[in-house]
Amino acid sequence: MTDRPQDKTGSEFILSEWLKTTTEFWKPWFSMWGGISEKTDETAAKKDKHRTRVEESLETTRKAWESMSSMMVEPETIESLFKGSSGLPVILMNLAQTSWTGFMHLQQKWLENVGRVGESTGSYTFENLDEDSLKVWNELYEKEFRKYLNIPQLGLTRLYQENMLQVTDAYNLLQANVAEFFHLLYLPIEKSLKSMQVQMTELTDEGELPEDPKTYYQMWIKALEGQYMTLFQSEEYGQHLRKTLASVSAFSKAKKAVLQDVLNMLPVPTQKEMDELYKEIYLLKKKIRALEKNT
Amino acid sequence: MGQPKVSVDLILSKLAEDAERTQAKAQRASDILFEPLDTDIATTPYDIVYEEDRVKLKIYSSTTDIKIQTPLLVVYALINRETMLDLQPGRSVVQSFLNHGIDLYMVDWGYPTRKDMFLTIDDHVNGYMNNMVDFILAKQKLDKINLMGICMGGTFSVIYAALYPKKIKNLITTVTPTHFDTDKGLLHTWMKYIDADQMVGTYGNIPGDIMNFGFLLLNPARLMIDKYVGFIENMDNKKFVENFIRMEKWIFDSPDVPGETFRQFIKDCYQDNLLIQSKMRVGGKRVNLKNITMPLLNYYGRYDHLVPPEACELLTSKVGSKDVEDVCLDSGHIGIYVSSKCQKEFAPRIAGWLKARDKAKKKTRTKQSSAKKTRRKTGVKAKHTRGTK
Repeated sequence: MTDRPQDKTGSEFILSEWLKTTTEFWKPWFSMWGGISEKTDETAAKKDKHRTRVEESLETTRKAWESMSSMMVEPETIESLFKGSSGLPVILMNLAQTSWTGFMHLQQKWLENVGRVGESTGSYTFENLDEDSLKVWNELYEKEFRKYLNIPQLGLTRLYQENMLQVTDAYNLLQANVAEFFHLLYLPIEKSLKSMQVQMTELTDEGELPEDPKTYYQMWIKALEGQYMTLFQSEEYGQHLRKTLASVSAFSKAKKAVLQDVLNMLPVPTQKEMDELYKEIYLLKKKIRALEKNT
Repeated sequence: MGQPKVSVDLILSKLAEDAERTQAKAQRASDILFEPLDTDIATTPYDIVYEEDRVKLKIYSSTTDIKIQTPLLVVYALINRETMLDLQPGRSVVQSFLNHGIDLYMVDWGYPTRKDMFLTIDDHVNGYMNNMVDFILAKQKLDKINLMGICMGGTFSVIYAALYPKKIKNLITTVTPTHFDTDKGLLHTWMKYIDADQMVGTYGNIPGDIMNFGFLLLNPARLMIDKYVGFIENMDNKKFVENFIRMEKWIFDSPDVPGETFRQFIKDCYQDNLLIQSKMRVGGKRVNLKNITMPLLNYYGRYDHLVPPEACELLTSKVGSKDVEDVCLDSGHIGIYVSSKCQKEFAPRIAGWLKARDKAKKKTRTKQSSAKKTRRKTGVKAKHTRGTK
C-alpha cells in the first residue's frame, strides 16, 4: 500500500465517493421496506420463518451491495482497478477487431455471392427478357439463394425447422418451374399469332383476305395446333415436363412432412400410419384369399 | 379510283352480321341453359351381380330372342369410366350389343381410394378379373366366355387371355396399346420422361385430375379452345348442348389410378415395352402372347392420338391364334364408341364376328387348329378386306 495524498479530482476519489453516496442512498430504502414488512406482519415473532422471497432477495442484494461497495471504496482496490484499466482499450480493440474480421468475412462472402449472381446470368442475355428471365431466375435461385435454405439447423427443434425450410425451398422451386413450364406452353400461342400476322400480310398483299371472320379463327387454331405439336415432340418440352412434375412431387412431399409434424402433435393418425395400416390390410386380404382358394 | 385490294367494307359488314347473329344465339342459348336438360348418362338398366372391394360386375340382359350363346365380358380401362359405352340413347354401344342378342357383363372398377394404392396389375387381372370370369362361368354353366377390352382394359384382357386361355372363347381388343415403343403418339413419347416411382411416392394413387390435365395437354388447341368455341357456336341447339354436357360429364369423371398398377404399367409397358415381347410378368407368371390361341379381333382408330395404330396393330402378329383380324376405323380414341358413323359399324360388326364364331364352335374347332394363320386387316372407310397375310 502506498502512502500518497488523496487527489480529490482523480477518478479514484470520484468512484469512491460515488459508491459511498449510492450505498447511503439505498440504505433507508432497504430499511423502510423491511420496516413496512415488519409492521404488516402481525406474527413478528415468526417473521424469519415467514419472510417472503422478495424480502429475502432484497436483503441479499443489500448485503451484497454493501459488502462490494465497502471493498471498492478501499484505496488499494481502486488503485489496482485503475492500473488494470490502462489495458482496457487494448482488450476492447482486440474484441472489436475479432468481430470486425468476422463481419467482413461474412460481408465478403455475400459480396462474392452477389458477384456470382452476375456470373449466373451471363449465360443468358437480358435482351430477350421475356424468354430468358424465367430461366435466369430459376438458375439464380438454384445456384445462389437456395443454399441459404439448406444451412444446417441446430438445436432441439432443428428437424422441424429443416422441414419448414425445405417446404419453402420446394415451394420456390415449384413456382419457378411451373412458371417456366407455363411460359413454354404460352410460346405456341405467341408463335401462332406471329405466323397469322405473316399470313395476313401475304393475303393482304395478294388482295385475298377472307371475308368470313371464322376463316381467321380457323387459320389461327390450325397454326396453334401445329405449333403445339412441334413443341410437344421436342426434347426440351420432355425435359421441362419431367422437371415440373419432379418439383410438384418435391413440394408435395415437403408439404406432407410439415403436415406430418403438425399431425404428430394431434390425437389423429398420420397419413404414414394409415398407409402402413392399409398395406397390412392389403397383405392380410391377399393371404386370406389365397387360403380360401386352397381350402 | 380503282378497286381496293382488300374489301374491308365486306369484312366489316360480315362482322356486323355475325354480331347480330351471336346476340340472337345468346338469347336462345340462355333460354336453353335455364330450362331442364336431359344430360343423364349410362341410363340402360343393369343389375349388379358381383361385388368385390370397390369393383362391381354389371349385367345387361339382351333384349332380343335371337341370342349369342356365349356372354361377353367388357373390361374398361382404369382411366375414366365405362359409362362411355352407354353415353346417350342412340349412341350406346351397350344398347347396340343388347339389340344384337349379346348378354353383356361389364366391369365397373369403381373409385379407388388410398387403401387401394397397393393394388397391382396382378390384383386386377389374377384377382378381380379372374374372380369375375369364374363367377360368370359358374352362373352361366359355361367353360368359356367372350372377352372384350377397352384401352388399358384391353391390355388387361390380353394379359388375362394369355394367362387363362382356356377360359376365353373369343378375344376382342379395342384401342388397346400392346406395343409401346413408338414415337407416334405423344403419350408414348411423354411416358418416357415420367418418373413413375416419384409420382407414386408422392401421390399414392395417381389423381384423375392430373391424368386429365395431361390428356388435355395432348392437344390444347382443340381440347381447351376449339372444343368450347364449338360449344359457343352451337349453344342454341338443345340436342347439341345436351350431348356436349354428357360428354363433359363423362370425360371429367376420372377415378384415381391405383399407384402400384400405374407404376407397373408405366415401367413394364411404356418404358420397357415388355408385353409385346412376351416378357412381362404378372403375379409371378410370364405373359406369353403365344398362349392367346382363341380368335382375336383387334380394333383401333386411324386418328387416335392416345393409342395410335402403331401401338395396336402389332398384336395380331404376335399371338398364337390363327384367327386374327385388325380393323382400323377412320376415327379417334373415343370416336370409335360414340361417333354416329362408328355406331353403325363398330358394335354390329363385333356382334356379327361373335355370332359367326358362336355358331361355328363345334364345326370348326379341328379345322381351325390345322388351318393356316389368317390375318386380315380391314379399314372401314374402304369397306373391304385390304390384305390377307
